[in-house]
Amino acid sequence: MAEVERTFRVFRYKQGQAAPSYQTFKVKAGPRTTVLEALQEIRRTQDRTLILRHSCHHASCGTCGMRVNGQEVLSCVTNVQELGAETVLVEPINNIPLVADLVVDMGGFYERYVDAHMPYIRQSEFEPDADLPEGIAQYTRYENCLECGLCVSACPVMGSTSDYLGPAALAAAWRVVAEPRGQDAGRAAEAALEWVDNENGCWRCHVAYECTEVCPSDVDPGGSIMALRRKLTGRKFRRLLRLER
Amino acid sequence: MQNTITGQAARERQERSRAGGLWLIQAVSGLLLVALLGLHMVAHHFVVEGGLRDFQQVLDYVSNPVIFFLEVVFLVVVTAHAMLGLRAIVRDLNLSPAAARAADWILALVGAAALIYGVWLAAAIQQL
Amino acid sequence: MQNASATRNDVRPRRPLRAWFDVRRRHMGSWAFAINRLTGLGLAAYLFLHLAVLSTLLQGEAGWDRFLQLARSPFFLLLDVVLIFGILFHGLNGIRVALVGMGVGARQHRALFWVLMAIGFVLLAYSAWKVFTI
Ligand code: SF4
Ligand code: SF4
Ligand code: FES
Repeated sequence: MAEVERTFRVFRYKQGQAAPSYQTFKVKAGPRTTVLEALQEIRRTQDRTLILRHSCHHASCGTCGMRVNGQEVLSCVTNVQELGAETVLVEPINNIPLVADLVVDMGGFYERYVDAHMPYIRQSEFEPDADLPEGIAQYTRYENCLECGLCVSACPVMGSTSDYLGPAALAAAWRVVAEPRGQDAGRAAEAALEWVDNENGCWRCHVAYECTEVCPSDVDPGGSIMALRRKLTGRKFRRLLRLER
Repeated sequence: MQNTITGQAARERQERSRAGGLWLIQAVSGLLLVALLGLHMVAHHFVVEGGLRDFQQVLDYVSNPVIFFLEVVFLVVVTAHAMLGLRAIVRDLNLSPAAARAADWILALVGAAALIYGVWLAAAIQQL
Repeated sequence: MQNASATRNDVRPRRPLRAWFDVRRRHMGSWAFAINRLTGLGLAAYLFLHLAVLSTLLQGEAGWDRFLQLARSPFFLLLDVVLIFGILFHGLNGIRVALVGMGVGARQHRALFWVLMAIGFVLLAYSAWKVFTI
């Protein structure tokens, strides 16, 4: 495949402007050019004021998430030619406050991991005397989460209200419950369950599974929300039958 | 991560279990409706010549106490499910807390009115 | 949060209706959710309509017969099919949402959806045929 020319329609917004706009750029894309590289090329050669976030270039830092032709993706692993479209529409992810151009403010998003009782550092499972629960392999590794926010952008409930805890944070909470680690694991798990058991927690989700569809890292937030509900439903039924208080 | 048990915490806890409880009612009533509505459709339309009961057939049907009871159960479940569903949609509209609470009351009243009217109607039909 | 004025929520206000119903580039679950909402609204409206229609019974046989005549017109029969579609979709998808939402079969939710839709399609075809031939 040879080099081709593509039209990039890029979302633009700077602080103080009344409304966002779209700007068009022509970019040459080789067979292996990614959307992120094309945007960096625009920055280098056409408009130095275009701002965007990125770091690793290999789908592990989660900073380059955007919506490309309406679909949430990591731009560093999205091939321009494989999109199969003449025009490439690039927009920041949704449902997270906008800073400028393609950059959103992830502060509130990260804070919810703390609320979920997800520790930044967890006890190692490779530590020989670590206390491991049985069947550890059956759990999906939610540490897979890149904190990219793509799930939050795609979720129809997140698009309705910022009060919803959102798929990523709920997935983190389920991680804390499903695979307790560290000294305070039991308490943290209880606290995480309490945190999600409310109208803006796991009960808010409408089972659209869009979060799972767009997650670039196989975290399956939708599935973990259902797992939280199963846990809480079981508890509610048992309380109803007075088997547990 | 301090968990002090205060009046507020207790209230929050109640509020919490309500959200899950409402969702469960919605799910269980929905599952019940699949059965009840299936019955309703078959009884009223599929087994009847012409697909709709004529006047006398309707009266005969509802005068059966078992059927009357089932119809009332159906009405209660379907109204609850519908009102909870509307509530979920209203909640997703991102209203102010006051507006959301007002909407809750309105939906509850509309639901109650529909119930009372429905039961009254069924009883009145029996008197015909 | 840090510098509140540095980030803007209001340049991109949340648009709930768009978030629910703009299903371009979305997947099966979002389509199911959107259609579930639409059919749910329709069925709620129908519930009240249904209660209103039944009150014609109180006007005695003549009132009910007038309704029956109307209900047997081709246009109303077509509406019946639309109604049956709404009931079948909402009910069958609802089975999935209820079960998966309680944690039952969450891993197989996609397969569950298509199986239920297949059942729904057969029931819809049968009902449509029944509506017009009964
Ligand atoms: S499954 Fe729940 S959290 Fe995930 S996108 Fe759907 S509504 Fe949002
Ligand atoms: S759950 Fe997936 S989509 Fe959501 S933030 Fe984590 S990696 Fe990204
Ligand atoms: S740049 Fe790190 S994930 Fe794309």
